[in-house]
Amino acid sequence: MKQHPIVQTLLAGGASTVLHVLLILLLVLSFDMPTEIRQLGQPEVEIVQATVMDEDLVLEEMARLQEAEDSKRAAEEERQQKIEEQLEKSQQELARQEQELLDMQERARLDAEKRQQEAEQEQQRLKELEQQRIEQEEARQQAELERQAAEEAKQKAEAERQAAEAAKQQAEAERLAAEKAREEAEAQRKAQEEEAKRKAEEEAKQKAEAERKAQEEAKRKAEEEAKQKAEAERKAQEEAKRKAEEEAKRKAAEEEAKRKAEAEADLQRQLEAEQAEREGRRIKGVVDEYSLIIQQRVKRFWIKPATADSGLEVTLQIRTLPGGDVGEVTIVKSSGNAVFDRSAESAVYKSSPLPLPSDAKAAAEFRSFNFVFRPE
Amino acid sequence: MIRKWLLKLGVLLAFLPLQAQALLTIEITGGSDAALPIAIVPFGAEGVNAPEDISAIIRNDLASSGRFAPLDEQDLVSRPTEQSQVNFADWRLLRSEGLLIGKISSQDGENYQVQFQLFDVYRGQQLAGKRYQVPASGIRALGHQIADVVYETLTGEKGIFSTRLAFVTQVSASDGKKRFALQISDADGANPRTVLQSTQPIMSPAWSPDGNQLAYVTFENGKSEVFVQKLQSGQRQSVASFDGINSAPAWSPDGRKLALTLSRNGNPEVYVLELSSGELMRVTNNAQAIDTEAVWSPDGDNIFFTSDRGGQPQIYRVPANGGRAERVTFEGNYNASPDISPDGRKLTMVHAVSGRFYIAVQDLKTGALQVLTESGRAESPSFAPNGQMILYATEQKGRGVLAAVSVDGRIHQRLSESGTIVREPAWSPLKK
Repeated sequence: MKQHPIVQTLLAGGASTVLHVLLILLLVLSFDMPTEIRQLGQPEVEIVQATVMDEDLVLEEMARLQEAEDSKRAAEEERQQKIEEQLEKSQQELARQEQELLDMQERARLDAEKRQQEAEQEQQRLKELEQQRIEQEEARQQAELERQAAEEAKQKAEAERQAAEAAKQQAEAERLAAEKAREEAEAQRKAQEEEAKRKAEEEAKQKAEAERKAQEEAKRKAEEEAKQKAEAERKAQEEAKRKAEEEAKRKAAEEEAKRKAEAEADLQRQLEAEQAEREGRRIKGVVDEYSLIIQQRVKRFWIKPATADSGLEVTLQIRTLPGGDVGEVTIVKSSGNAVFDRSAESAVYKSSPLPLPSDAKAAAEFRSFNFVFRPE
Repeated sequence: MIRKWLLKLGVLLAFLPLQAQALLTIEITGGSDAALPIAIVPFGAEGVNAPEDISAIIRNDLASSGRFAPLDEQDLVSRPTEQSQVNFADWRLLRSEGLLIGKISSQDGENYQVQFQLFDVYRGQQLAGKRYQVPASGIRALGHQIADVVYETLTGEKGIFSTRLAFVTQVSASDGKKRFALQISDADGANPRTVLQSTQPIMSPAWSPDGNQLAYVTFENGKSEVFVQKLQSGQRQSVASFDGINSAPAWSPDGRKLALTLSRNGNPEVYVLELSSGELMRVTNNAQAIDTEAVWSPDGDNIFFTSDRGGQPQIYRVPANGGRAERVTFEGNYNASPDISPDGRKLTMVHAVSGRFYIAVQDLKTGALQVLTESGRAESPSFAPNGQMILYATEQKGRGVLAAVSVDGRIHQRLSESGTIVREPAWSPLKK
């Protein structure tokens, strides 16, 4: 994020003011929590060395502040002590006078008692005299007490004046201390700011450096990786190429082998086909020959019905037994003329046994076959 | 690739004739015209001496038809009279297609029980079998009847062994006079009986469609005259005795009309006479020619006749109720005496070549003409009622005899061996 210099300044100023107030408050309210200051004053700081330096500064400052406070407090205590000593002294005096009074009263009583016994008249007069004298004494004591009270008030006033003076002095001292503290805090803040700035700069620098390094590293790594990758790819490509070449070679070899095998198979097939064709022709020749022989035989045995219409046609299927005997004759497709059908059937039966070829393959053709009978 | 494909195709093609056709098929055409071998085992006679050898009658009928070749009796391997005794393998060895066995028995010598069974030897099946009871006099007729059954069963056509023949005989008496007789006989020529005798010529007998009457021409009254005679009663009636020629009667298929040749108007023309009313209708009208020998088509729609209107005798056809006649025969310069087969498909006629007369048959559809006889003296052809045979008269050693030929010309029969001259035969219809 890019910020305007003024804004930065304002932000810095605001931040310093806040820091200032915080510092004052902390200094006034809680001197026994110095770590808080560090933590509050340096919320983002993470670098340890810098913190140590700060702490020393703060401690130093704190010591100074403590010292000032201590002296101020000592003066006050001294003053208070003096007041208390004076109060104690006057009280002790009062107590002594009271004691003395008590003693005198005792003696008087004793005397009175004695005199009482000695002389009751006298006592009365004495008593009156005593009373008089006590009253005088009491008046005098009263006057003394009043004087003492006045003295005490005077002393108290003096003490109050002194206290006020002390307070004034203290306030001044405090003001001075505060001023000093403020200045110090300002200095510290500035120092901190500078430090922070420096640190920030340092950090930024470091960070930049780190980033640069990281970038460099990243770059280097990337380059390295790219290089490795490229290398790997190159290797992979080479491997692939090698494999492809091997595969191609292998395939070519296989293809060649296959082609050869096929060519051989083709040749074999061709030979077989030729053989089969020759065999087929041979068988067909035999079958044709015997078909003709059988035809002639059956024809000779067929007594065609005289009235058979030329359009009649009957298809018989016959099965032959190995010797050529006619085993079974079935009408596959009747002519519709029972006499004509029967004449054909009879012809086949009468032709039994049929001459069959000795060649097994050719003879197989005659195992089951058809006759078609037509009048013409 | 293509080479491989072609190779495969080649292999495929090489096997195609064997593989594409699931089963080998052998075609048989033509075949033999030979007679059908049949074993006719003499019927077993149980305790009787039958007046007629019924199996001989059957054998003779079937053999005479030319369609059957009965095994010689001495070749019969066994003589079964009932099915349980039949061993088909034996008969197969003889290549006999049919086997006929039977029995005849009688309790009283008057009435006879007859039974027969006909087998298909190769399939071992009975094809026909029946039992009858007949008087002694009926045994011959029963023989013909059984022959008809066998014939029909094995050929698919009607048997004609129970039909009759009508013909005219001529004998020269000791007094030198000629005697003419109209006779009928069994189809095999046996059992002839005379239905009319005359010293004057008798001509052109014609069977009524029901087989109960004969129409014929006599000259007994000094001129030609057409009579119709009932065979049962012998009762007869003159139906045409017009001036001039009265000849060549022919029954219409419904039996109600006669086609005749009359020259009552000067020139021989074909007329149709309605028997019940005597009404006469002229069918042909050609003053320059002789129109005669009419015969009906089986459907009764047309009349075929002989005419020399073209300069030579040829066969013509005209609608039965009159109309324009059209020529039917074209081969040769003489074709006469037509008869039409029961199925209406064939025409038989006398076909003359170089003055010699032959029986020929013409396919009415194709016009193809086939000469059936060899001797050159044939006349009056007449179709058997099953259309398979043609009866005709011919001369042998100077005598007229009856003969028959199958429509395909393969089978020839001689029907009469008597010393008489036999002419003008006519084959009866099937027995109703």
